[in-house]
Amino acid sequence: MGYFSRRLITFLSVFLLIFTLEITPVAAKTEIPVKSSIQPYLDRVIQKIDEFTLDNGLKFIILEDHQAPVVSFVTYADVGGVDEPEGKTGVAHFLEHLAFKGTSKIGTSNYQEEAKLLDQLDLKFQAIKEAKKAGIQSQITQLETEFKEIEEKANQFVKQNEFGQIVEMAGGVGLNAATSADSTIYFYSFPSNKLELWMSLESERFLDPVFREFYKEKEVILEERRMRTDNSPTGQMVESFLDTAYTKHPYKRPVIGYNQDIRNLTTEDVKQFFQTYYAPNNLTIAIVGDVKSKEVKKLAQTYFSRFKGQEKPPQLEIIEPLQTETKQVELALQSQPFYLEGYHRPSINDPDNAVYNMIAAILSNGRTSRLYKSLVEEKQVALAAQGFNGFPGDKYPNLMLFFGLTSQGKTINELAEALHLEIEKMTTELVTEDELNRIKTQAKADFLRMLDSNMGMAQTLVEYEVKTGSWSNLFTQIDRISAVTPDDIQRVAKKTFTPENKTIGRLISQNN
Amino acid sequence: MKKLPWIFVGIATLLLIILFNSPVLALTPKHYTDLEFPTLKNVEIPNYERYQLDNGMVVYLMEDHSLPLVSGTAIIRTGNRLEPADKVGLADLTGTVMRIGGTQQHSADQLNQILEDKAAIVETSIGESSGSASFESLTEDLETVFNLFVEVLRSPLFPEDKIQLAKQQINSSISRRNDDPGVMASREFKKVIYGEKSPYSRTEEYATINNINRQDLVNFYEQYFYPNNLILGIVGDFNSPEIKQLITNKFSDWKANEKVAYNIPSAEQKNETGVFFINQPQLTQSNIRIGHLAGKANEPDYPTLTVLNGVLNGFGGRLFNEIRSRQGLAYSVYGAWQPNYDYPGVFAGGGQTRSEATVPFIQSWKTEIEKIRNNPISEEELASAKDSILNSFVFNFQKPEQTLSRLMRYEYFAYPSDFIFTYQQKVKTTTIQEVQLAAQKYLQPDKLVTLVVGNEAEIKPPLTSLNEKITTLDITIPEPNNS
Repeated sequence: MGYFSRRLITFLSVFLLIFTLEITPVAAKTEIPVKSSIQPYLDRVIQKIDEFTLDNGLKFIILEDHQAPVVSFVTYADVGGVDEPEGKTGVAHFLEHLAFKGTSKIGTSNYQEEAKLLDQLDLKFQAIKEAKKAGIQSQITQLETEFKEIEEKANQFVKQNEFGQIVEMAGGVGLNAATSADSTIYFYSFPSNKLELWMSLESERFLDPVFREFYKEKEVILEERRMRTDNSPTGQMVESFLDTAYTKHPYKRPVIGYNQDIRNLTTEDVKQFFQTYYAPNNLTIAIVGDVKSKEVKKLAQTYFSRFKGQEKPPQLEIIEPLQTETKQVELALQSQPFYLEGYHRPSINDPDNAVYNMIAAILSNGRTSRLYKSLVEEKQVALAAQGFNGFPGDKYPNLMLFFGLTSQGKTINELAEALHLEIEKMTTELVTEDELNRIKTQAKADFLRMLDSNMGMAQTLVEYEVKTGSWSNLFTQIDRISAVTPDDIQRVAKKTFTPENKTIGRLISQNN
Repeated sequence: MKKLPWIFVGIATLLLIILFNSPVLALTPKHYTDLEFPTLKNVEIPNYERYQLDNGMVVYLMEDHSLPLVSGTAIIRTGNRLEPADKVGLADLTGTVMRIGGTQQHSADQLNQILEDKAAIVETSIGESSGSASFESLTEDLETVFNLFVEVLRSPLFPEDKIQLAKQQINSSISRRNDDPGVMASREFKKVIYGEKSPYSRTEEYATINNINRQDLVNFYEQYFYPNNLILGIVGDFNSPEIKQLITNKFSDWKANEKVAYNIPSAEQKNETGVFFINQPQLTQSNIRIGHLAGKANEPDYPTLTVLNGVLNGFGGRLFNEIRSRQGLAYSVYGAWQPNYDYPGVFAGGGQTRSEATVPFIQSWKTEIEKIRNNPISEEELASAKDSILNSFVFNFQKPEQTLSRLMRYEYFAYPSDFIFTYQQKVKTTTIQEVQLAAQKYLQPDKLVTLVVGNEAEIKPPLTSLNEKITTLDITIPEPNNS
């Protein structure tokens, strides 16, 4: 759901991408184990982290790292697909796209003239909607012609993609954004001498956004939906699966939005959503790299104090009712089969969060994992089989999801049976200390490797800050994970892996 | 390893005036046009050592003690372009089973367990134009992990059961290769350009996998895996004298093979013009690829052509501005000169668009190609493309391992070790006229071939309105004959 697509996606990641874009990759790597030899490195990092909050409530987290003259920035808006009003799905993602369209000074050659035309366009769009309701064909055609003329005129004033062009010309890389069920993040990296440029561009971007090219961008987003969902068997299956697994909670809905909702969205919808949720106390910014935190603080005050404080946006209060029986959904599409099995679990802030992550790791991490050994290597029923947490988000109670791709000549039932056997084993037998220790060591190494990436650290720190209340929880996870015992795993497995709590998704081959 | 990233990144300020490193703090917010920037710190190229063992093996060492981690890669002079046509998949299988089959000293299970207990990684693979074996380890486990890495490289077991597993996995992938329209389009486009029998486009089939036996793997391995056919690079938290000793102990008894041969297959454009169509009635969107054969990265005009890429792509790029933002025809659209290191790459582009917009998309895309050939680009466009490359150049030097893998890659493909810097210099001096000359010389509208994966009934106006020969492709997966 990013602004840009990434090309050259490998076979398996076509499936995984949908999730990794929606649950920032860090969510899966929550765990850091045993202290030991990495503790000095962690302490060193913790010491270099600074934080401050402006009077308007906007919070900054800074990690200094002077290895190379570069710096990464992440702006995290605590708003995502779940916060959208009924009938307006897709508005969070639409807004994310429009945040690349510039301001009253960037992206236009004459804002005064342009603004008049933009207002006229909105009125015409409204008129077309009404004419369509009334079903007066001649009127619709006439209005559509007029709409196109105004759009054409407005277009004359637009400097297409000027915001992004300024960033790239200044040496910015990785400029993009991502909308998930839980959050919207905006990010890129600069050479470190451009710190103040980021301050200027990012503050103006959200102080004075102009949602120009709205109607053309709608077409772009509809193409994105066609690409990710309507023309992708995986995308269709995932949408149906979520719709089945949830009854009330908005995790049920697609982040990109339902087709009809996207078509009906207006600039007014986007403006309202923006005004409600892009309050400074609902934004958190992480900056990691070759900067001095004192200087960041001065500049942040200068540029970001301009945001007026406002009320904290409302938080979602819908609670998914307890599931009472197994649910199932099956689609027949032009694709080889795959299988999904999901179980409801609590949010990231549950005391058992670390245990859930250990369960997923024991089943899925590497060639020693249970699913690989059993389904891929021994029974050879799967080309790939894994499980992970946080689907489709983890701010709220979510799903632990298992998936498997059948191997050639094997049926989806053979795969389902083998997969379920391994899940059930977690409830009937204690895992071994060896398995637990292996996962703990792996988490330690993963954590070290993450330290090597400015952007990775920026995203992880800010996500922990917002979702758990403090970035420091990233580091205290160590204690939690080293405390997990085989009994914990069995206890959590027993309460989670029950028939009443299960949703099954089957994509079967239309040709067969 | 296969392709150059088609847009290199860069800094212009590197050699410019030196200012004080005390940026003036802004007391009032400024619009971006009013800002001045301190000079960027000089990029530091990490120290490294290159040497050769008596048996010809090249070694690069680069110490970096920022984290307690060590990683290494060996590039092996081999590739799937060298496998026999009736055994497509052999190189892939060899690269896979080297690792998943275990070694003569450690069974697959033992290997997996020792490595994963230590959160270490050893992986091998053979791609189009090279093979690779790599490891990652915590400093404290370096010796154990390095020993296993060497075992995998020097004494793979190739057991029958793991060969069967790997074959079954490849067959499963074959069975799934038509599930995604984008994957389909990319694969078939290569076949249309290079020809379906070319080593650069052919795909494994059930039949070619079935033709492969254990002896084939052993032979393929023995044909290419020699110390004089390999470059090893190690980066991270190690001590050079100690690791040199370890390398000597583990590799110096490995005999060179002076007869090892490596002939790079040539590549030509198979179809000179035309539209190739794959009908998929379930789709509401067409996947489009357009392009022709291109060149190599060591050709003198390559830097100019990357500037041209910048004019067409990225934020503010012509294709993005016109086809996505102005016309709303696509979520992703691109068109770029994509050379290879040692054989001709492609100039290619495309995107996805709703079925009924298929023909307008193709026409708009081609119009942009005509435009950039027929008219000089503007000063602003030139500046934008050059600045983007030069100002982000520093991101090529974020981490020591970037520099190390670049040096190894250059040596492997016989490029000068300062290639990236001569590239940078040439980008700096690129002119409007050079871009236009390059566009006229290298972008050849009369050689463009088009591939569309889409729904024939919904493509209105139809593809025939393009006035080109239309060839419908059958991509049915050939059934396995026996077994």
